[in-house]
Amino acid sequence: MSTADILTAIQDSPIAHAISKSNHLVAAGLQVVHVLGFIALLAALVLVSLRILKLVLNQQPLSEVTRDANRLFYLGLSLTVCSGVLMFVSSPKLYFYKYAFELKMLLFVAAIVIQFAVLRRVAANENPKPFAARAAVALSLTAWFGIGLAGRMIGFT
Amino acid sequence: MSSLIAIAEQVEQLPISVAIAESQYAFPIIEGVHLIGLSIAVGLLFITDLRLAGAILRRVPLTQVLHQLRPWILGGFASIFITGGLLFLAEATTLIANPAFKFKLVFIALAAINAAYFEFVIAKKAGAELDRPVIPANVKFAGLASLTLWTIVIVCGRLIPYLPSAP
Repeated sequence: MSTADILTAIQDSPIAHAISKSNHLVAAGLQVVHVLGFIALLAALVLVSLRILKLVLNQQPLSEVTRDANRLFYLGLSLTVCSGVLMFVSSPKLYFYKYAFELKMLLFVAAIVIQFAVLRRVAANENPKPFAARAAVALSLTAWFGIGLAGRMIGFT
Repeated sequence: MSSLIAIAEQVEQLPISVAIAESQYAFPIIEGVHLIGLSIAVGLLFITDLRLAGAILRRVPLTQVLHQLRPWILGGFASIFITGGLLFLAEATTLIANPAFKFKLVFIALAAINAAYFEFVIAKKAGAELDRPVIPANVKFAGLASLTLWTIVIVCGRLIPYLPSAP
């Protein structure tokens, strides 16, 4: 089974038909959920990044800030992933061969790896070393902001 | 309204507007920066609102959250207004006829009024009481109002390309 066959099978599935044949405001609704989820995710990430760099809420333990921020991060992540999967399923052939989409997915994989292998490990230490802190925050924000930029390019390429 | 259309037509003719509209990459890149600025400014504002409502960071004194996040929120807003202005230049005539864009402006104005009322009336009156463990009802309400109004602003913004422009 080739990639094109798999994409065709997805495109012909009942769920894909349900979305693509419905009112165009269903697609718009998915876009709205996608962007709101992305903002929730980035809000949590920006807060944790600023705290790791000791730029805000210095008087609070890092663990306390990350615990509350993580709930918002996972809420945002689940909203973006669910809406994103539904958008992709509704027209996989449209997205799959787009350069901006491929870039966005690569950055997404990188961002998730950085999130769990680097940022979380750095934030587990109450007083991370300044270089490790800056490197982890820079890597993580570059990947997530890159996802936002690549995502905006999808509609234009 | 017709004079507004005339102004928008002139705005669209400006060299910078033409340059943004004609470039293949300028428009999506500016939109991307608009989105990133949004996630910093409105994102941190959401954090503040959730704290006002008592949903997160409950053990952090409220005034710490308000004061320390403020410069980042304002900086983010500066970048949103600049990029938003540039996007408007390139599409002025279609935007002023777009219902989602009109609602977006109305809700930005309402959110700004809510923020100003909180800052200059509610917070000023409450003073040090803001840091008490029990959050006053009007403070909670201001936080939830801000959260709701900015969410509507984002929804309207994302719907701009999906709703037809009507003169």
